[in-house]
Formats: sequence, structure tokens, C-alpha cells
Amino acid sequence: MRNQSSVKQEFLRKWITGLRRYSCEKKNMSFFERKKAIKLSADLAMASTRDKTTRWSQALIANNTDNVFIASSSSSSPKKSSSSRSRNMTTLMRRSRPTRVKSAKKEMSSARCIAKRLMEKRTRKLKNLLPGGESMDEGCLVAETLDYIQSLRDQIEVMRCLVTASQLIINPS
Amino acid sequence: MEQATGVLRGSAHDDVVLESIQFNEEIRGIMAPAPAPENGSSFTALLELPPTQAVELLHSPDCAAAAREPPCHVNTNQKPYLLDSYGGNLTFPSNAALIERAAKFSVFAGENSPPEDAARLAPTSLSGAVKNEPQETDSNPCSTQGCVSDPAVETKNERTPKRKEREKKGKGSLKKSKGIADESSGDGEKLPYVHVRVRRGQATDSHSLAERARREKINARMKLLQELVPGCNKISGTALVLDEIINHVQSLQRQVEFLSMKLAAVNPRIDFSLDSLLATDGSSVMDSNLTSMATPVMWPENLADGNRQHYQQQWQFDAFHQPLWGREEANHNFMTPEHSLLSYDSSANSGRSHKLASTVRFSS
Repeated sequence: MRNQSSVKQEFLRKWITGLRRYSCEKKNMSFFERKKAIKLSADLAMASTRDKTTRWSQALIANNTDNVFIASSSSSSPKKSSSSRSRNMTTLMRRSRPTRVKSAKKEMSSARCIAKRLMEKRTRKLKNLLPGGESMDEGCLVAETLDYIQSLRDQIEVMRCLVTASQLIINPS
Repeated sequence: MEQATGVLRGSAHDDVVLESIQFNEEIRGIMAPAPAPENGSSFTALLELPPTQAVELLHSPDCAAAAREPPCHVNTNQKPYLLDSYGGNLTFPSNAALIERAAKFSVFAGENSPPEDAARLAPTSLSGAVKNEPQETDSNPCSTQGCVSDPAVETKNERTPKRKEREKKGKGSLKKSKGIADESSGDGEKLPYVHVRVRRGQATDSHSLAERARREKINARMKLLQELVPGCNKISGTALVLDEIINHVQSLQRQVEFLSMKLAAVNPRIDFSLDSLLATDGSSVMDSNLTSMATPVMWPENLADGNRQHYQQQWQFDAFHQPLWGREEANHNFMTPEHSLLSYDSSANSGRSHKLASTVRFSS
């Protein structure tokens, strides 16, 4: 299992670094801009803690680095060099595994058809939820979901701590 | 069955053997009509008929001759069997019964299998599944001769598309016979070829082995997921578990959104007065906030005072947060306001609010 507190610390540090980059560039941001910036930097920080070991993290970074480029005028993302990563991601996407084609004639029983359809619906939903999930096969999907859920939980904990801390700063009574 | 074993082993003249041959032929005829190439067109025509009709035709003496010419994949040194021997008391109610009987007989038939068959046997005691039985009967050229002392392993190279259907039908009834087959064939051909550990009642085809390994891996991970997601332990059935997992992921993502919104509202600037945070070392911040909410010791007081009025002005302007902040100020316990806020957030999904609440409680 991952070392929980160290992961969280790493995440916090990276997140704060990213936020700092944001704050230097844009002085007056609207509420929603701020929210987006916060979320984006948090996501990127979370993904970078996985350090390229999982596909969802790569996909997340690849998807969001363009946003980072657009939002901030800085040339490089605070976390990691994005160009190589986006290239990796696209090659990953293109190299998606060929899906097995089963002939429809084999599924004779209707119960099996129904069950299969249910499973397909759900796996598709899960794939949409997970960043970069479309190009994963079933086994990969389950493992990635596991990791993603753990990371999300860590992220939420850190964010919540930060919120409490900020509130305490504001209102220490 | 044991007596049959002894009887069959010895002689090839028994009616039982002939019956077995016949059964195998029926099976072949029913199962794989396509690959009966160069022999008598009458027989192939027969093969395309539905089983019951085929049986009737076979019963009739006209087709005796046709049936006598075995299809190409039956071994030529097979005895010419007579249709009369198997009489009219045969019924083919379903494929399952057919498979069962054929399997039983073919297992115990003589062991004059040619070397190519023997080469495919595994030395270790394996129990084959039904799917191997019918498969070998229709795809193995020498199956009628009696198959295999160890029917399970023979099927490595040949697969028919119908195997999977058949396996599901006849699986349960054949386990017993497979056990006996194992014993009887234990001292049969021993060839140092393939060492495979296969569970009882399962195929040993390389494809299916790989698939099974993959399946097991996926199932193990699903179990882990079930433990991770709260409330999934009691649910049985993959679809419902997947549902829960999806809900959980969605709720986590929504929480992230919501928290980032909150943070954006709290701070007019993004830096969160970070100097204080980083100066006091991240770990202490984490621990203190995790354990108790009331340790403002580390925050420099002057900084807080300086920011307070600024933030209060911000709050008045921020209409979105006005009702929420009002509730929050009264209560510093982080759980309740978040709970109420979360339910506020998810008011659209009325059915999900309790789930969110549970996740909130869980994740703290």
C-alpha cells in the first residue's frame, strides 16, 4: 500500500506550487476562474504523484496540459514537461488494444444477452468517468479504477484540510 | 460404470463399443455438419438435418450403406458397424444426453489410439470437462477408436465454435465419469509433454487457460474494489457492484469540484496565505487538521487579523455562498456543514444524498 501521509504531503506541496504559479500570473481572477484553477492544479498534482505509473494519471495530465497552457501564459507546466507526455498519451490512444469480436450467433440465451448488455453499459459508464478510460480493456479498467478511487480520496482529504485551515485563518474563534 | 470399463477394455466386439462409435458419429453429425468433406454426399446431407430427423434416417435401412461409409475423419480401420445393432430404442431427446452417453462410452473404449493422439496427452492426472468430450468426438479423427485414456487433454489444437455451448449443457453430469476416467487412465499413456494444472471440470486449451487466468485476475481486483467502496461487501453480482463503484467515483469527483469551489470562495487570491502553510511544514498541518480542528496555534495571528476584514467583505459580495457561509460560521465542526452542503449540492439527485453523506462520513 502507498504511504498515505507522504503521498498527501507530496500532493499538497505540488498543488501549492502550482497555485503559486497561477497567482503570480493573473492578479484578478473571477470566482469561477479561481475554482477552475484550483481544481486543475489539484488534479494535476494528484496525477503527478502517481508518477506515470497509471494510465489515468497520464491521461489526466495530457488532457489538462492544454488548459494549463491556455489559462496561464507560462511556457511550461509547473508539474512536468507536458509535450512528451501528450505525445505518449496520443501514442497510447492510438495503440489501443483490439477488442475481441464475438459473433452474435453464439449468444443464444436471452438471459445471457441481457446480462452482457448490462455489463457493457456499466463498463462504458465507468470508462467515461475515468480519465483516459476509453482505451482500456476490462482488467486494466478495474485496476485503474482502484487506483483512481484511492487517489481521489487522498485528494479530497488534503483539500478538506486546506479548507479547514483557511477557515481557521479567517475565523479563529 | 466400473464393469463397463473392464468389459470395454478387452474387446472391441461389444455392442457397447459399436454403440459408442455410433454415438460419436451421431454427435459428429449433429455437431459439426460442415467438416465432412469428401465423403458420400448422402451422409453430408444427413448431417445438415436436425438431429431427430437424422436419427430416423439412420434408422432406415436405406441409409445404412451411407452410414457405413464413414466420413473422412473417422479412422479407416474401424469396424464396420451395423445400424441394426443399435436398434430402435434409442432416443435423442437432447444433445446433453447424447454427449453424456458418448462421453461415457468413448472414455472407456479401447485404447488403440494412434500416436498422434497419445502425443497430446498430458502425463498428470487431469480431469476433462464435457467440452473436451464432444469436441474430441467430432474433431478428433480417432476418437471413435477410443478415445483417449485421458480425454481432457486431447483437445489442445482443435476447437469448434460450438464447444462452449456444449460445455455449458453437459458439464454437471459428467464430473463423475471424468473422475473414473482419471483413475482408469492413470496408468495409460504417460507422455512427458505438457504439464498443466487444471482444475476439475475445466478445459486445458491454451486459449481458455489464458482466459481463465485473466478472468481470475479481474475477479481478484473486483474483490479489492468491493472492499474499498463502502457498502459493496453485501452486494452480490458484478453489475450491482459496478453500479456502486460508479456512484462512488461520481461522488468523489463531485466532492473535489465542491471543495475547489469552496477554496475559491474562501480565498480571494489563490495563494492561500501559503507562506504560513509551507513555513510550518506540511505534515504538521495535515496531522493537526486531521485530528482536531481547533489548533490555530501555527497560524500567525497578525496574518489572520489582516486578512479577516478583507475576507468578510468578499463574503458579502459572494452571493452564492451567503446562505452556506452563514451556516458554517455557526459551527466549526467540519462534518455537519459539509454534509448539509453536500446534500445541498446533490439536491438534484435525491437518491444519492444519503450515499454522499455516507461517503463524507467515511472519508473523514
